[in-house]
Amino acid sequence: MAYKVLVVDDEDEVRSLLDDLLNREGYLSQACATGEAAIELLKKEKFDVVLLDIKLSGTSGLEVLKNIRERHKEIPVVMITGFGYDEDLIAKSKQLGCCGYIGKNMPVSQILSTFKHLVKKAREKEHHVR
Amino acid sequence: MLHKLLDNTGVIVIYLDRNGNILLCNKKVWDITGLNGGDIIGKNWLEVLFRDKSSLLKKDMLKAVMDESMKLKREKDFEGIILDKDGNERLISWNLAPVHNDSDQAEGNILIGQDITEAREKACPSKNIDKTFKDILSGIKEYALYLTNPDGLITYFGMGSEAMLGWSKRDIIFKHAGILHYPGASNSGLELILENVRRLGKYETETELLAKTGEVIPVILTVNHFLDSAGKPSGYIFIAKDITERKKMEYQAFQAEKLAALGQLSAGIAHEINNPLLVISGRAELLKDEKDSQKLIKGLNLIDTQAQRIRKLVDGILRFARKTTPAFKEIDLNEVIELVLPLICCNAIPTAGIEIKKEFEKNMPRIKGDPHQLQEVFLNLLINAYQSMPEGGTVSITTSNLQDLYAQVRIRDTGAGIPAHHLKNIFMPFFSTKDYGTGLGLSISHNIIKSHNGSIEVESQVGRGSTFTVKLPFIQKEVPGGL
Repeated sequence: MAYKVLVVDDEDEVRSLLDDLLNREGYLSQACATGEAAIELLKKEKFDVVLLDIKLSGTSGLEVLKNIRERHKEIPVVMITGFGYDEDLIAKSKQLGCCGYIGKNMPVSQILSTFKHLVKKAREKEHHVR
Repeated sequence: MLHKLLDNTGVIVIYLDRNGNILLCNKKVWDITGLNGGDIIGKNWLEVLFRDKSSLLKKDMLKAVMDESMKLKREKDFEGIILDKDGNERLISWNLAPVHNDSDQAEGNILIGQDITEAREKACPSKNIDKTFKDILSGIKEYALYLTNPDGLITYFGMGSEAMLGWSKRDIIFKHAGILHYPGASNSGLELILENVRRLGKYETETELLAKTGEVIPVILTVNHFLDSAGKPSGYIFIAKDITERKKMEYQAFQAEKLAALGQLSAGIAHEINNPLLVISGRAELLKDEKDSQKLIKGLNLIDTQAQRIRKLVDGILRFARKTTPAFKEIDLNEVIELVLPLICCNAIPTAGIEIKKEFEKNMPRIKGDPHQLQEVFLNLLINAYQSMPEGGTVSITTSNLQDLYAQVRIRDTGAGIPAHHLKNIFMPFFSTKDYGTGLGLSISHNIIKSHNGSIEVESQVGRGSTFTVKLPFIQKEVPGGL
């Protein structure tokens, strides 16, 4: 069964691109623009993984990550950001419990392969825990 | 023989009868007065030597001196000023000696005078003070001092004016002072300056003067009026201080700070470029397998839009970073702020949600200013606002029209605020509370606003946020029928 991915990005074009790319890769993707909307969706539906932009208007991506961790310990969250490789942001994201970090400056193929790899690793970890 | 001797003594020798009429004199009297023998002999000495009407009192006194000298049979020494044939004042040391006949009756006087003008000037520098003072003043090149009459015609052009402005006194006296004032200056023409002087008595402003060569000279101009006994302005005194060097240094600091500001924004700028870049490469990737021509066109349009977004941002950065010549133009302050927003809206604080609220005055009158310098001011204020809110918050930008006199821009944040003991220092150069700040941003902003004859103020409460208020004067219409 296909993985259900929740994409959170406040930029329309980026959100719809990530949505299209993930669907093409065989994921079942759903997208929203704000952290608040993501938290609401997570209350109602079950997702296998969240792809979360760090810089969101309103509640920031890191705040959303913190919130998800408090409520849904099991969902892997992959952070994505236009800030590229930023040590501070990576450290903060890891500290708050994300399972990986993707820079939007990476080539598309690499973004997708990193995402797949992170999801696979998270899945394995989950199995291992079980 | 005696005549020859007297003519060559170098002193004035006059023989007077007892009434003071000249019976005999040497050539020196002719030389000094420019009169010839016929005009001198038989005339009263007071009439010959003291021809100007102002010396009536002097004449009475001198007559009294002579009468006393004869009465007491005593020589008298005194000094007096006479006018020579060219109208120059000569200081003469006189010796008046009475002559009595054998029966001890006063017969007349011998008057001997020595021209001591030059000797006195050498011996006593205070007599020279005016000349010395003028020499010193004319040696000052950084200042220009000129006067006009109430109609603005130049009546005096001294103290460095020639050196600074390149006009000679002869060429400019009685010309209108308007020709010295650069029409493109930040605060418009001479008439507006004089209007302010009439209103305030004294007016100081940063402006630009125009040299004869066409060179524009930045100055601090202080203008005072002087009033006649009836309280009416009888003229204006202008003192201009050349601030070219200061302006050059300010401008270099301004360029450096601009680049430092861009450095602080670099992460945000990268973010703003990475997003559309991802869309471009992502869409291109998806289009590789696309067969549907309509979807193909849609995808290509998306790519194009994103490329334009990057181009716009890069243009904005270049426009901001580019070295520009300071130039005042008529500008719309709202537009200046709009140009800054794309640079700031993606500030380098990625973790915080920051909302920008804009409330712009519609139909804002135009101001005269340098758009690049003002962009720098607003960018600095916005960067500060963003950096004061690491946990997120709101920046409100409000522009308004203050009674058709000033454009006001308020930038309010809901950030950390500035402690009271820092408030008085925040416009000082090199004052910074940030680890990475140059401490020049606000001091440069302050200078820029000052050179626009505006003001910048701050109010702040720790924990509540800060508000920076910038006021800039609108372009005032010239008074119709002015100078």
